[in-house]
Amino acid sequence: MKGYTKYFLNKLGWFAITFVFAFILNFTLPRLMPGDPVAAIVARQAQGISNPTGVQAIYQQYTELFGTDKPIIEQFFIYVRNVFRGDFGFSFSQYPRTVAEVISASIGWTLILQFPAIIVGWILGNVLGAMAAYLRGGFDKVLMPSALFLSSFPAFGMAVILLVIFAVHLKWFPTSGGYGYTLIPSLTPTFLWSAFVHYQLPFWSIVLIAIGGQAIGMRSMSIYELNADYVKFARFMGIKDDKIVAYVFRNAMLPQVTGLALALGTMVGGALIAEIVFSYPGLGTTLLNGVMGQDYPLISAATLIITFMVLTANFILEILYGVIDPRIKAAQSD
Amino acid sequence: MLEVRDLSTKYVTRYKEDVYAVDRVSLKIEEGKTLGIAGESGCGKSTLALSLMGYYFPPLHYISGEIIIDGQNITGMKPDEVRKSILGKEIAYIPQAAMNALNPTRKVIDFIGDVIRAHDPTWTKQMIYDHARALFERLGLPAEVLQKYPVELSGGMKQRTVIAVAVTLTPKVLIADEPSSALDVTSQKMVIKMLRDMMESGFIKAMIFITHELPLLYNVADDIMVMYAGQIVERGTAKQTVFDPLHPYSKGLMGSILVPESGLRSAKLTAIPGAPPNLKNPPPGCRFADRCKYVKPECRVTSVPLYEVGHGRAYRCILPEEELRRAYEHGE
Amino acid sequence: MQHTLRQVFRSGKFIVGFSILMTILLIVIIYPWVVRHPPLQIIGQGTFFPPGIYVNVYDAIHAPTLYTLNLEDAAANRIGNKLRQEDRVAMKEWLVAFGVPEDEIDIDDTEKLLALWEANYNPDLRLPGMTFARHRYFQRVNASIDGLLSTEPAIIAAPNSETGALEQKALIRQTDYANVDEVANVRILALGTDNFGRDVLTQLVAATAVSLVIGLVAGLIATTIGLTLGLLAGYIGGLVDDVLMFFTNLFTVIPTFVLLILISFSIGQDKRGAITIAMVIGFTSWVWTARAVRSQVLSLRNRDHVNLSKLSGHSVPRIILVDILPYIASYVVMAFILQVSSGILAEAGLSILGLGPRTTETPTLGLMMNWAMIYQAHILGKWWAYLPVLVTIALVSFSMNLMNTGLDQVFNPALRD
Ligand SMILES: Nc1ncnc2c1ncn2[C@@H]1O[C@H](COP(=O)(O)OP(=O)(O)OP(=O)(O)O)[C@@H](O)[C@H]1O
Ligand code: SF4
Ligand SMILES: [Mg+2]
Repeated sequence: MKGYTKYFLNKLGWFAITFVFAFILNFTLPRLMPGDPVAAIVARQAQGISNPTGVQAIYQQYTELFGTDKPIIEQFFIYVRNVFRGDFGFSFSQYPRTVAEVISASIGWTLILQFPAIIVGWILGNVLGAMAAYLRGGFDKVLMPSALFLSSFPAFGMAVILLVIFAVHLKWFPTSGGYGYTLIPSLTPTFLWSAFVHYQLPFWSIVLIAIGGQAIGMRSMSIYELNADYVKFARFMGIKDDKIVAYVFRNAMLPQVTGLALALGTMVGGALIAEIVFSYPGLGTTLLNGVMGQDYPLISAATLIITFMVLTANFILEILYGVIDPRIKAAQSD
Repeated sequence: MLEVRDLSTKYVTRYKEDVYAVDRVSLKIEEGKTLGIAGESGCGKSTLALSLMGYYFPPLHYISGEIIIDGQNITGMKPDEVRKSILGKEIAYIPQAAMNALNPTRKVIDFIGDVIRAHDPTWTKQMIYDHARALFERLGLPAEVLQKYPVELSGGMKQRTVIAVAVTLTPKVLIADEPSSALDVTSQKMVIKMLRDMMESGFIKAMIFITHELPLLYNVADDIMVMYAGQIVERGTAKQTVFDPLHPYSKGLMGSILVPESGLRSAKLTAIPGAPPNLKNPPPGCRFADRCKYVKPECRVTSVPLYEVGHGRAYRCILPEEELRRAYEHGE
Repeated sequence: MQHTLRQVFRSGKFIVGFSILMTILLIVIIYPWVVRHPPLQIIGQGTFFPPGIYVNVYDAIHAPTLYTLNLEDAAANRIGNKLRQEDRVAMKEWLVAFGVPEDEIDIDDTEKLLALWEANYNPDLRLPGMTFARHRYFQRVNASIDGLLSTEPAIIAAPNSETGALEQKALIRQTDYANVDEVANVRILALGTDNFGRDVLTQLVAATAVSLVIGLVAGLIATTIGLTLGLLAGYIGGLVDDVLMFFTNLFTVIPTFVLLILISFSIGQDKRGAITIAMVIGFTSWVWTARAVRSQVLSLRNRDHVNLSKLSGHSVPRIILVDILPYIASYVVMAFILQVSSGILAEAGLSILGLGPRTTETPTLGLMMNWAMIYQAHILGKWWAYLPVLVTIALVSFSMNLMNTGLDQVFNPALRD
């Protein structure tokens, strides 16, 4: 176990470092832009809008909460303290809701939608890629170009196509939202069914996008492994083909786990945009609303949460990888 | 121990082109002997080694010929029969680049278990472990290696482990394809010593040793076969082939290494100008004609047979023995 | 070099990808020479005009010559255009519901059907059980078939400039034809108009050009940064490698698009030009190239020819340029192609979020998509506003991926079979 503990601590340390770094970026990037855009946005927000007293109130509250009139280092520590309290201030565009309220209402939708979809896409992609590598011939000839085409498709494109075909034309599924707009979220069968129906199109558009890239990756990995020297040696030692195939696909799959960890950021990005196409009530749509409403606190918090989610998922995958790849334990122990 | 008659095999590429990498090769190894195979890169040494196993899978295909191991003709056997009763048990193969010959995600002992069970599923874990331990002790390898993954082993140790795994089922014939090429000097010595010990103690009955390094081959092999473009161009004892080569190609080959002392260790078989013919459609006449100093018009007309000159010695050239020797004396 | 090129151009996948991309490029270059309309000009009053040839009616009437053509099916076409089969069925349904005996109605006999309709239909009467929408539908049908069977010519009249009274200027008979070539104003809108009333095709071509430039700039920046860092980290090694790899690893796991969103948002709508966006994309997407280049350089660093060069005392830049770069060139080219196509996709994603280049001057594929989505073209069935854009994005990206796969197979022969 010692080898694994070392690996685990190593990854945990790395997770902490990346998070701190991402946190700092999240704070400084907007403030590094010429002319302090945060201040500019807050000021713009404080003018233009019809209800001056309300906006004035947000502005004051925001200035106080984040200390925008103080030096930047001090602002940073105020920000850290606030974030750890879960206090992101009021949302500019959805006043009087707080940013924390807005985000917590949408984060669940995103989690439930994206992670299952990405995992299902990963599994299907790997199975198809492995089959293409092993079966070759016709299957490979059809699968490869389709996978390539699928993976060239932007996530929102797939979303739009599915939406037009299955929601607009065939009317099998609703066009937008996370549940029927007449319903209130609850655990009733009606609501759950409605949520389930609304779930399908966003889910499958993310799955389809994920499949393409994963299938291509798995195919190359499997072909590489099939040609590896150990395959030849095992064959000439009289080991049966099915056993060798098991070796090969296990070995090809392992890098795909790390591959998923690395591709996660991009995939989540695409999936957030697919959410927008379906007006799915998750973080993607929240981000869009934030952009539309020039809602700086909301965008800042949403991006921070997304980064945190991706980094956490990444960390979990790395940990999992350490468990399933025997070499990790072995390599760390000496 | 091992006899091969007129064995021909080919690769079929994905463009459905045939590459005739082994062309009517015959050879014979007596018990206790080591046969060395030399020839420049791409001449078909590895392919010949693979073809000798009698177990073919794409892209390699069997064309014709016979393989007889210890009196048993294996060419007519069903593939699964060959797999079960021949591979590893009668004849074993240590692949070139044996560094990667072990599955990286499987412990050595587990892989040995897979090998044993592929031939006899009744073995228990304990039996396998005891067997492997005894084997490793006998071959002078530490037993801890069994519990390790290939990444944990050094290059030399990995190579020796691969050899140990290859002889798990005590095969009669062992084919070693460049077993020491990628190693440092010390590890090379250990590997060679291990192979020699196995031969001397009768643990294996015959060996085929393939290498680029002629000095090494001269030390290890009893007989040497020189290959060129998929064919045997010369066969004889180690001494004869190295010090009294008959075929112009062998002559060039040996000449290139027997020059200065320092060159002895490192010289590779590349000193003859020109390149071998394309094996997709080899020329009808002598395959060496384009690079041969002594080429005659009739060399290019029909294929040149392997002329036997007695005592197992043979060479593939239309010029008589004496004429070649005379030419070499004057020419050099 | 030449040999490599020949090999590359023998790869089927590469050729297909290359041809698609070149076709798109050719169109993008040639189209503006042929069609010289400004791409963002608002020409349509209204949204989403369907694709087609738009003929100016005023000019058609005033064409230099009006030709008389006696075409047999002209009358039938005229009727069919306004009274479709489903309308006839619906009319019968109304009449039956109204109380006309079913066997008296023959929907294929236009004259009789219209006479029956004329005699019975009352636009103010809403039959029991009929939805309001259905009621409105019958009113519309009624209006459109008004005077359908008339054979009278249409009169063109204009007010007299003095008296203001209408004076007949011309008669347009049902057999009058204008030759499109002689009509002064005809505009082909092959892909209709968008939500602002702009010509979609012209805009699409311009947008493709801009998006390609964005991808190119982003790809160049990302490849330059990635190549430089990868070379430094891989060749120099040691502390330089550790530091560079630390940052590369950081930026590998931190989701790029989050950085993109933050930066684009902070830049502000007014300052976001297409090139700015391209630069932002380039500066956030170099990590993959850096990693790939570094691992290639690591494996090259101890090859014989590099060692020889080192022993001969060649300078580091020279070694990198002569002994390393040529060996990783194929990887760099492949990484560059990937960067270009992912840059185009990144722009599209940003634009859909409302963070693309500012909207007034340049169209991009992402912005067109963004507008179509905001105006719900996909839900309203206005396919011409979004589908061509999607197809273009997919084709550009697909062609580049194909080229890359082709290259990959040439340079990594194991992937071939
Ligand atoms: N999988 C394959 N498909 C098609 N042709 C092949 C394949 N493997 C090898 N060849 C061809 O067969 C010929 C013999 O190759 P082989 O590997 O047996 O040579 P070798 O003498 O072992 O060379 P080396 O010294 O480099 O190991 C070469 O011309 C090679 O190009
Ligand atoms: S047959 Fe002719 S070409 Fe071939 S080796 Fe002999 S002399 Fe040379
Ligand atoms: Mg070989």
